[in-house]
Amino acid sequence: MRLLLIHAIMAAFLTYFAFQHAITGGMPYTAISATLLFAAVMFILWLSTYFYRRTYFHKLPKLLYFILFFIKELLVANLKIAYDIITPHFRIQPTVMAYPLTAKTDLEISLLANLLGLTPGTLSIDVSEDRSTLFVHTLYLKHGDVQHLKQHIKNGYERRILELTA
Amino acid sequence: MSIFQITLIVGIVMQSVCLLLTAIRFAIGPTLPDRVTAFDLFVANVIGIIVIFTELTNNEDFIDVAMILSLFGFLGSISFAYYIMRITK
Amino acid sequence: METSIDWELVREIISCVFILAGACFMLIASIGLLRFPDFYIRMSAITKGSTLGLGLILMGMAIYFNQPGVLLKVLAIITFTYVTAPVAAHVIGRTAVQNGIAFWGKTNLEEFKGYLMKHRLERHTNQDRYTEEVPPAMMEKDGGAGDAAGKV
Repeated sequence: MRLLLIHAIMAAFLTYFAFQHAITGGMPYTAISATLLFAAVMFILWLSTYFYRRTYFHKLPKLLYFILFFIKELLVANLKIAYDIITPHFRIQPTVMAYPLTAKTDLEISLLANLLGLTPGTLSIDVSEDRSTLFVHTLYLKHGDVQHLKQHIKNGYERRILELTA
Repeated sequence: MSIFQITLIVGIVMQSVCLLLTAIRFAIGPTLPDRVTAFDLFVANVIGIIVIFTELTNNEDFIDVAMILSLFGFLGSISFAYYIMRITK
Repeated sequence: METSIDWELVREIISCVFILAGACFMLIASIGLLRFPDFYIRMSAITKGSTLGLGLILMGMAIYFNQPGVLLKVLAIITFTYVTAPVAAHVIGRTAVQNGIAFWGKTNLEEFKGYLMKHRLERHTNQDRYTEEVPPAMMEKDGGAGDAAGKV
């Protein structure tokens, strides 16, 4: 996590100096070229971590895959709710479920609660005092089954967060 | 006036309709947290209007306004929430 | 060099598509704010729709300007919005639960009963139509806020 921040700042400064001193050789100073150069510098730095930080080398692709998965979930849930708002009848079935947490530390629990809060259709209400359950307000249930949704959260979000923060 | 500018003006009009609907919820909202939610949506809509206006006038200095407004919107809703929590205890 | 003129047009078209999509999401969110029956459903459905719409509009602007400084500012705004929106939603939602804002009548509260019993909130829940009740303590303690909540 800290290494990622250091690498991002380094890559940003390198990109800036490359454009400032015209090392790039006639490349136009636009957002697209700057982003491409930034990504290239980050890629080289990521390859270099193979020699001194093996865990980071394996975690960064997982992080990218997790971000893509999350954007997909966000779009699908938003379109579902938009369809429900436009059509005259609601298909919602609101439920407050007690989700058993596997995550233990502060960072993991707050990350999971915030990601659930950012997805439409779920709203994390509170964590119980012994930190074993998270109360989540949900709108849609597949086949009227709470366990199905719990399995989806456990396999989709929590497993990946635990892999990333391990 | 090109099609591009017409599209941007249509976007601004849609945002203004959003503001109107949100104002209705702000007026009739049965409880205080409802109004805080409506206030949140207010701020988001105003940021959207500022952003589209920036693109329409082709002057990128207005983005700072949107940045500061997003900061103040978050502070406003959080402080309202704490205020409600303290006032009813 | 007619390609440069062409790129400008492509950028304008992509930016227009992004901005119209974002404005549509925000419009749908505000219609839903009026249509949904319950505070929690509104909270969990609406705030995120407006956040996604705002992100789309900002990305459209970054694509149109195509300058690194503008892109950096836009990314800062998007990151800030996406970090703070769930925090605000969580704080307001928890405050509403602890103040006993009623749930919708059809809400399934099976697994939530223990929590409600613990905080002595069970009498507030599952009223289908709820009215605004201003507790007398609130009116006494702070006149201005009680008036504002009671009048409108």
